Amino acid sequence: MVAVLDEPRLADLGDLDWALMTSDTPEQGDDLRALFEEQALPYMDQLYAAAMRMTRNPADAADLVQETFVKAFQAFGQFQQGTNLKAWLYRIQTNTFINNYRKKQRDPYQGTIDDLEDWQLGGAESVTQSTSTRSAEAEAIDHLPDSAVKDALQSIPEDFRLAVYFADVEGFSYQEIADIMKTPVGTVMSRLHRGRRMLRELLADYARDRGIAAAPTTTRSTK
Amino acid sequence: MTDCGCDKAKAELEEYLHRELSDQDFRDITEHLDNCEDCSGEHLVGLTLTQKMQKACQEKAPEELRAAILAKLEHA
Repeated sequence: MVAVLDEPRLADLGDLDWALMTSDTPEQGDDLRALFEEQALPYMDQLYAAAMRMTRNPADAADLVQETFVKAFQAFGQFQQGTNLKAWLYRIQTNTFINNYRKKQRDPYQGTIDDLEDWQLGGAESVTQSTSTRSAEAEAIDHLPDSAVKDALQSIPEDFRLAVYFADVEGFSYQEIADIMKTPVGTVMSRLHRGRRMLRELLADYARDRGIAAAPTTTRSTK
Repeated sequence: MTDCGCDKAKAELEEYLHRELSDQDFRDITEHLDNCEDCSGEHLVGLTLTQKMQKACQEKAPEELRAAILAKLEHA
């Protein structure tokens, strides 16, 4: 029915040389575009939300999503129907972000974040709490404003932030995240663990500072 | 220390939360959580954190983005 289905090819996503991939004939291009719009465009809001967490501002986020869709469309002939389109789109967007935007932003931790020891990240290794303070902590987190959660997410190192976002917000599996971020599963787990712990500490501090709940911080005792 | 299952549970709570455990491990942890206030409290914090993030990060693309994308695809 559709041209793309007649020539199944394995998508080679290892190299992102999308610019070279274009449709052969106008008719084929029209069919492909209709299929692409039908299948890929529904992910626009999700990709935009992810782009907001990546770029941290609406203008860059909108640019990133546009670029993602253009690249995805140019490579869509290579996409194997029946495989995970959402993960494929996120992979393209993450790649585009890393190549185009990360350079500009100059994350001071860049390239070394996974090697830092926990104490260098400012986190405490062990969390010792009583059951009552845990339920207070859960309640405090629940009552935080959305902006506090987004701010906390923005302030943790980028690789941690992306891993946490992909797992917790998007629900990707560890293997899918490993593919998207081009890193071993073990690294994904470490990023998730450390990222979540940093978030938890930031949110506990926020709640305590605002007096949102009588939750002591997870790292230090309050008195 | 006696191992009442807490060590295993605490070590795997994050994988449990993200549904990354085998069926057997998943059942083991679920059973442990039913009987351990300490671990279930810890799990609740993790779960709340995840749910809070899901809620906080919902975002709608601006109206004009869809049209801008469609226009670009036209010329791609």
